[in-house]
Amino acid sequence: MHVTSNILNMSGLGDSLLLNVFGNRFWHEQWFGGPAASASAQEADDMYMWLWWFCVAWFVFLMVLMAYFVVAYRRRPRVIAQRSAAHNVPLELAWTIIPTLFLAYIFFRGFHSYMDRVVSPGNAVEMNLTGWKWSWKIEYPNGAESTAQTVIGARPVPVFYVPAEQPIKLRMNSMDVMHAFWVPDLRLKQDVIPNRYTTMTINFDKPREGETVHTYPATQELADNDPKYREFAGNLYNKALAGVEYTEHHVFCAEYCGTEHSEMAAIIRVIPPQYFPEYLESIGIGSKTPLEIGQIVWKSKCASCHNIDGANTGPEWRNLYGNEHEYTDGSKFVADDNFIRESIREPGKHIRKGYTNQMTPWSENLLPEKHVLGVIEYMKSISNKGGAAAPESAPAPATGEAEKK
Amino acid sequence: MSAAHAAAHGAHHGGSYLTPKGGFITTVWDWMTTVDHKKIGVMYLFAILFMFFLGGVAALVVRTELWTPTRTTEAGTITGQLLAPADAKSVATGNDWYNRFFTLHGAIMVFMVIVPSIPASLGNFFLPLMLGAKDVAFPRLNLLSWYIYVIGSMFAVGSIIGNGVDTGWTFYTPYSTTTDPNHWRVVFMVTAAFVLGFSSILTGLNFVVTVHKLRAPGMGWFDMPLFVWAVYSSGVIQVLATPVIGITLLLLIFERLFNVGIFDPALGGDPVLYQHFFWFYSHPVVYVMILPGMGIISDVLAVHSQKKIFGYRAIAYSSLGIAGVSFIVWGHHMFTSMSEVASAVFSGLTFLVAIPTAVKVFNWIATLYKGSISFTTPMVYALIFLFLFSIGGLTGLPLGTLSTDLHLHDSYFVVAHFHYVMMGGTIMAIMAGLHHWWPKMFGRMYNQFWATTAAIIVFIGFNVTFFTQFFLGVRGMPRRYASFIPEFQDYHRISTIGSYILLVGFLLHLLVFLHSLVVGRKASQNPWGGLTMEWEASTPPSEHNFEHEPLCKHGPYDYDTTVPPGWDPKDYPIPAENLRVAAAVGH
Repeated sequence: MHVTSNILNMSGLGDSLLLNVFGNRFWHEQWFGGPAASASAQEADDMYMWLWWFCVAWFVFLMVLMAYFVVAYRRRPRVIAQRSAAHNVPLELAWTIIPTLFLAYIFFRGFHSYMDRVVSPGNAVEMNLTGWKWSWKIEYPNGAESTAQTVIGARPVPVFYVPAEQPIKLRMNSMDVMHAFWVPDLRLKQDVIPNRYTTMTINFDKPREGETVHTYPATQELADNDPKYREFAGNLYNKALAGVEYTEHHVFCAEYCGTEHSEMAAIIRVIPPQYFPEYLESIGIGSKTPLEIGQIVWKSKCASCHNIDGANTGPEWRNLYGNEHEYTDGSKFVADDNFIRESIREPGKHIRKGYTNQMTPWSENLLPEKHVLGVIEYMKSISNKGGAAAPESAPAPATGEAEKK
Repeated sequence: MSAAHAAAHGAHHGGSYLTPKGGFITTVWDWMTTVDHKKIGVMYLFAILFMFFLGGVAALVVRTELWTPTRTTEAGTITGQLLAPADAKSVATGNDWYNRFFTLHGAIMVFMVIVPSIPASLGNFFLPLMLGAKDVAFPRLNLLSWYIYVIGSMFAVGSIIGNGVDTGWTFYTPYSTTTDPNHWRVVFMVTAAFVLGFSSILTGLNFVVTVHKLRAPGMGWFDMPLFVWAVYSSGVIQVLATPVIGITLLLLIFERLFNVGIFDPALGGDPVLYQHFFWFYSHPVVYVMILPGMGIISDVLAVHSQKKIFGYRAIAYSSLGIAGVSFIVWGHHMFTSMSEVASAVFSGLTFLVAIPTAVKVFNWIATLYKGSISFTTPMVYALIFLFLFSIGGLTGLPLGTLSTDLHLHDSYFVVAHFHYVMMGGTIMAIMAGLHHWWPKMFGRMYNQFWATTAAIIVFIGFNVTFFTQFFLGVRGMPRRYASFIPEFQDYHRISTIGSYILLVGFLLHLLVFLHSLVVGRKASQNPWGGLTMEWEASTPPSEHNFEHEPLCKHGPYDYDTTVPPGWDPKDYPIPAENLRVAAAVGH
């Protein structure tokens, strides 16, 4: 089925007549999995399949020769081992020079294609990608961060929505150890290093032949019935995407980084470019109030452990703000702004009685100050001592009092 | 001199090196303090086989864990359920166990098995014999290097007993300097690698000097067997490259213990610098692993096809060529963490190393032409080597090519590739060498039928295990993953089944060897009809190797003109008629 499409995109020795009959794409899909998701990935596949046939040809040649010799010259009684030359200069020169020429060709073809693939075009949109133990996030050009999630198996992983047919230059950095950002469908991988930026250009095509196209649920009800989109901790139904068709691509961490290295995955969803601005707008926090920001942060980052109503792994948030609570070391503190900030940045400092510390410290990198303020606002809004933001018009708590602990 | 005559002669002079010196305690003490290269070689062999067993068990644990994909945090189906059933609630615990086992497998197999395997065991035993020497140049240093090896291995085993290390055998920073902060295990494991390095350096140095100074009278450089050339080349690499890893590992220990900022960016260091240092050693050392294997194959192919090796000088020079080029290709491990320019340079240099390697393969196959090929176990292993090593070499091309490496780097494709080279190459070569020289080392034959059967089982198991992994890699399976997406499950299962076939093969080999040691038929002096000098010694060799200082009177592969030493028509597998040419020439 892909035989004809392979007529395009041809260069070099590898695409000899014989190979075109078989078709690189056809065989690649037979043996090596899904279709390439970009023109640059297709180029890599073509190069790979050329190398594959090249290796197969050499291997078969060598092994047939070996098998023939082994059979033809097997030891037999009453057959005299024939004398033959122990070296032959023209032959030896030939089998040195011919492989050298092939290797030179392979190097230059690989180099050429490599430069095509790593140099980003001038019209690329820049996004920041951050990796840490053990997840990824993207910061979009408008400052919004990726918050969507889905599941692989039962494990939540981040989802990055990106537009098709738009080169994107990822500026990548790690917060801790070495990671590597691998998008198998793009045939691209780049290490993510703690002390410097590395870059990678991704440029998804619109869905190619053979790719599965998914549709984002048109309504929240539909989403709730589908485990892929269900509104679980950290996942929000996004109206901007209702009914949009997209393709899905895995991201894996390819540089060993410890305990949950193999869980450090992500999903890239490629949407038609015309929907992207609206999506960006919908997740942007630029024009949102601190309360709205806090709500988003809670849903995306806190809600897996902190319920609004009832205890979870972490303490309940309703009526948390402004009230006094007891901690494991016997001390008591009023949960005021500073206390909450401290509990986010250094969660191990005071553990609420009846709980154990299971929370990652959220550094400035992971949760900017603006988000912390949002969380505080959100906590106020659901506390009986939340002041002006409080749901019931409880007597205005003396904020100053709380600050004094 | 007939075999019987040689044996009688040997007995007259106090028997072979294996003859006990007295009671049990005396014998053990004799072995522990021996400076005889043969005994040290045998002790190395058993130490290395033991470590191979440990590393193999770790590999089976890893493969068994990968039977199920399980990417989930929910209890009941968690990753690592097979490894840590008691901690079934925690995904982290299961993964940690998995990470320790693959680290264990890698570190043991690289530092304690493949690097020392051929030079330290077979090289120690046969290098002096092949040169017609009484011992290596520095016999005491030789014993010291064995003890260093044992001490290094004990450090490694210590860290394993203390719950293991989860850094991967490459110890990449800053992970390796930050993981497990309050424990000493990483330091132990790194110390093990550091200490083992000295063993390598001393052995390498010893061999280089031995080759330079102790060749038998009349033996020029180009009269040496190719195994000696190969061990010599790898000795040069060991001496030059190992100090670099030693210093690097020392810096790593300093960083961990004293917070000296060298590689950890949090302390002002640079993690990519570590990768450069590490691969500056670890790439050349890949050739320390494979060159001696290539040497064995050259010898085995020639002997078992009774044929002068094709292109002797080309093979000898290509060993040196590989040793030289190996120092300037380390960057191909880092195409995804270096600048584009550096990647391009290293990709180009990498292809250079393919040329001498290809030349060797051509020479080996040409050697078979018009030979008299017998399907002995060593020969079967040599043919297996040619098959697997060709795959290993050719699959290096997509990895050296920049454009395709961006996809294949750090995937299962790499895993498959280096197993084809390291296991399909080095381990198959050591199996060939072990079967080739076993009669000389222990004076007994083994059951060739069962040994060859085991070899074929290993061959099948190997391909089932690792050929699948090429497909896994291209399809997007990253290496060092405790769990994976369900799409990959079928391939992983095939691979795991293959690893158990491998286990069966190696267990059968173990039985064959034990059987041979206990009830094996006495081996003659020269069962395969080899022309190199070790076959002039009695079987097993006497303590001083040779009765008289041997003279080098013919080339190592002059089958056209020479009757093999110690040839006994009763044992000799070559039909007498085949040797008519040799006889006619007038020996």
